[in-house]
Amino acid sequence: MTTRSDRGLRRKIFSHSMVVLSGLAIVAVMLPLFWIIYECVVLGGSHLTLNYFTQGTPPPCSPISCEAGGGLTMIQGSFIVVALATLYAVPIGIAAAIFAVEYGGGGALGALSRALSMAADVLSGVPSIVIGVFVYVLILYYDHGIVFSVTSGSLALGAIMLPIVMRTTEEALRTVPHSVREAALALGMTRWKISLRIVLISALPGVLTGILLAIARAVGEAAPLLLLDNTTLPRFLGFNYPAQSLSLGIYLWADSPYKNLQNLAWETALVLLIFVLVLSLTSRLALNRLSRKWKA
Amino acid sequence: MSSTSGNATTPPAAPSDTMVRSKGKSRTGLYAAVAVIVVIIIVLAAGYAAGWFKTSSTKSSTTSCTSPTPAVLSGAGSTLVAPLMDQWSAVYTASTIGYSAVGSGAGINDITAKTVDFGASDAPLNPAQRAAVPSPGVNTIPESAGAAVPIYNLPGISGHLKFTGQILAAIYLGDITNWNNSALQAVNPGVSLPVASIVVVHRSDGSGTTFVFTSFLSASNSTWKTAYGHSTTINWPVGVGAKGNSGVTETVQSTVDAIGYVDINYALTNGVAFGAVQNPAGNFIVANITNIASAIRDSNVVFPSPTGDWYNVTVENAPGAGDYPMATLTYLFVYTDLGVAYGSSMSQTTAENLVNFLLWIVGSTGQSYAAPLYYVPLSSAAVTYDTTTINSITYNGAAIPTCVPS
Amino acid sequence: MTRGNPFPPRSSRQILRAPKWGDRIFFALTMLGALGLAGIIIAMVVALVHGATPAFDQIPFTSFLFGRIWDPGGCVNGTSTCVYGALPFIAGTLITSTIALLLAIPLSLGAAIFLTQHAPMWMREPVAQVVQLLAAVPSVVYGFWGLIVLVPIMRYDVNPVLAHDLGWTGLFGGPTNIGLTVLTASLVLSIMTVPTITAISRDAMEAVPRSQKEAAISLGATPWEVTRRSVLPYSRSGIVAGIVLGLGRALGETMAVTMTIGNRNAIPLSLLSQGQTIPSLIANDFFEAITPLEIPALMEMALFLLIITLAINLGARLILARLQLGRGAATE
Repeated sequence: MTTRSDRGLRRKIFSHSMVVLSGLAIVAVMLPLFWIIYECVVLGGSHLTLNYFTQGTPPPCSPISCEAGGGLTMIQGSFIVVALATLYAVPIGIAAAIFAVEYGGGGALGALSRALSMAADVLSGVPSIVIGVFVYVLILYYDHGIVFSVTSGSLALGAIMLPIVMRTTEEALRTVPHSVREAALALGMTRWKISLRIVLISALPGVLTGILLAIARAVGEAAPLLLLDNTTLPRFLGFNYPAQSLSLGIYLWADSPYKNLQNLAWETALVLLIFVLVLSLTSRLALNRLSRKWKA
Repeated sequence: MSSTSGNATTPPAAPSDTMVRSKGKSRTGLYAAVAVIVVIIIVLAAGYAAGWFKTSSTKSSTTSCTSPTPAVLSGAGSTLVAPLMDQWSAVYTASTIGYSAVGSGAGINDITAKTVDFGASDAPLNPAQRAAVPSPGVNTIPESAGAAVPIYNLPGISGHLKFTGQILAAIYLGDITNWNNSALQAVNPGVSLPVASIVVVHRSDGSGTTFVFTSFLSASNSTWKTAYGHSTTINWPVGVGAKGNSGVTETVQSTVDAIGYVDINYALTNGVAFGAVQNPAGNFIVANITNIASAIRDSNVVFPSPTGDWYNVTVENAPGAGDYPMATLTYLFVYTDLGVAYGSSMSQTTAENLVNFLLWIVGSTGQSYAAPLYYVPLSSAAVTYDTTTINSITYNGAAIPTCVPS
Repeated sequence: MTRGNPFPPRSSRQILRAPKWGDRIFFALTMLGALGLAGIIIAMVVALVHGATPAFDQIPFTSFLFGRIWDPGGCVNGTSTCVYGALPFIAGTLITSTIALLLAIPLSLGAAIFLTQHAPMWMREPVAQVVQLLAAVPSVVYGFWGLIVLVPIMRYDVNPVLAHDLGWTGLFGGPTNIGLTVLTASLVLSIMTVPTITAISRDAMEAVPRSQKEAAISLGATPWEVTRRSVLPYSRSGIVAGIVLGLGRALGETMAVTMTIGNRNAIPLSLLSQGQTIPSLIANDFFEAITPLEIPALMEMALFLLIITLAINLGARLILARLQLGRGAATE
């Protein structure tokens, strides 16, 4: 009798200490992260005005001219290159994930789908600079006129986003239990309708996490753009020309000796974080309302 | 996250019932999609109104000639001259200049692969790079100049610490490990150097700054010369590597007792402490635009032919009493015949734009932007040389008409 | 834990013979997606192999793999021959990623468990948003923070303590007057990896049906036991996916490492020495490569990194398969 309640007590104490430990973990996780955000806010927020959204990139500060400028050129360029990359990456990633889950099972198709998951994992480990080099080599081979262009930049960013979207979608699809599919099949729904309208929709929160993570990663990624989409052009001229981007601005100017460019870089870091936060919040909100309606 | 996905306890009939019922009623997704599309259209329209999609800029006025239709020019290379290129792109309105600061080596690769109209580098082409350039070959055009300066982080010390080439080489060889070393003390009498080990910082990436710094070390110290030589990339014996001039500056500024080397414009704009270096005349010179310019003048450097071998061209260790010893030129590379080199991808108009831009850069207007940004303007001898070279660029064998804006 | 469709087709012929053309088109479209992904990877490997071919031809393989000296410029400035040894960078990559993961996994899992099981409801969504936001912080900002904030702390506060108290392990030898070390870089890497692992693990844990947890509670499990016996096994596949994606980020991270690791092209003999990783080396050397063999050698190293990543992935999947087989009927 005593031993049983002792064991019970020990289990309870152990459980409580694990809860405390996990609480400590969340604190340890948040601490450096808040620190970094604080850094961005302090360095970027001190000079940030609405001019950031209306002015383009200024020339370096000198006795001739010392404008604060703004991030409009970079916002334009980043928007286009990331939007293009998302257009490539999300459909391919979701399609590949559906393939892996719906047709994975046994036999050749099953082996292919497992290989596909592994391929996506390996791709996610490729350094972004290597992806940039790969796209550089590829485009050089086909049309060396557009090596520096929004097109090649978006190809590289898309390749970075693709494994994130694919794997998170795959895992989200796998969390949908058999019973839902079985029920729909019993009601006579066609396979593809089940996959899209029931399984995918049920898994939408996870899919969304993946897409958001991928967009966040792409918009902050500078290394491939350094090689492929790095320019002083003052505005978007077309998909065959390069364009400035937010991540490159941060990369190139965060420690620039020219104060106006350095301020611009940190303001950009802050704006980028705010943008991702807003994107993330609004899509979660929209998703929650959608889910509530779909799941009466 | 408020709702979980796929709850297994829901009765089977519910999913499709709910789907069928609410399919007609839930339009949130539709509204959201429409809203996003509308926002995109508004942004693009506003952009169009703000001139985002126009490629032409106003033709600049010149006195007597007709300037060509503006074109987009592309260049790539040195990160060192990137701020100057930024400035030039902003004020030169006769063409739209897109310069990609990808690094000198990548810039040389790009001009070799003909992906850009001009390449920029801090160091001249080495023999291997020169051999790799396809016909018709490129002209080497010095367009600016700079210098390497030693920077350090010693909080107790004011003014400019003095260094000689020997001492710097010994530090970077690892022979001198402490700040209060006797050799350092000897050239800095009266300065109380700290009793601390020197944290050596060098470049981790290849760079023209390394090229000029190690050329100076090689000229000052034979051990360095035989063991490590001068190059854009060195197999450093000691020290920590930082990426870029800004990386070295940042690392030195946040590490007490550190020493590094950066380009003069980084030292002057950052306010980081930098040292005086002894020149061949025996004087310790604190680098500034004037004494670097005089060094380039006094070095009496003889330029080879534009398509020749520039690898041994040096403006270091100029003989003048007040000359700064670690000066360097920076170079542009442009093909000798643009039509032959690029074929149909470069039109006559673009060729004219390019030549006008190059002439403007080396001309008085372009060079006037150098000193305010702490770059060294070209000497008049260099300007004359460059103008001749640029005027010799042809398009399919024919001379290119020029019309340089003021 | 489901693994796919309850009625998977046995072959593509079966699908193509399906009565509904909608199903056939759907199959074709998803197959296109799959082929697209596969195509990108194959194209990348082909491009890298093609780029690395001169290095394969001209640099003996053992001297590349086990060579300790990287001096691609020696033959240009006439001081020595050009040597291309990759061992320092393979070692640096493995060491930093391993330490980063060892630190990140417990932290991320702890954070995810707290967020999904124990945190009060009002806290869950905002904290989750913040963690996800951290995935958006650009690498260069992490690198900056590492350089300005973490490096001085390591140099003045942490490294001396580690060298003094834990020096007996042999891991913390060497001079401690520089904060740019393998350890600092690993710390920054682990901080960068945490958001990815936490976000994905959190989603996996959220998807655990309440029935599972309720069943465990009704049997008298403590909260930790509920987590350990119901939530974690059910979400295991998702957690591993998160870890693998996080590992991908750690292995491939460039900028933050370059700014904190000290960029010394030598095998780090202690956690407090400087080192170099493959991605950081590529970022440093690619743009200024001066000898014709340098870029091919870098591409060969990139291929090595791919192989290392592949090996780790295979290992992770094998472990996962073993765990699932061992559990038997406990998995759905």
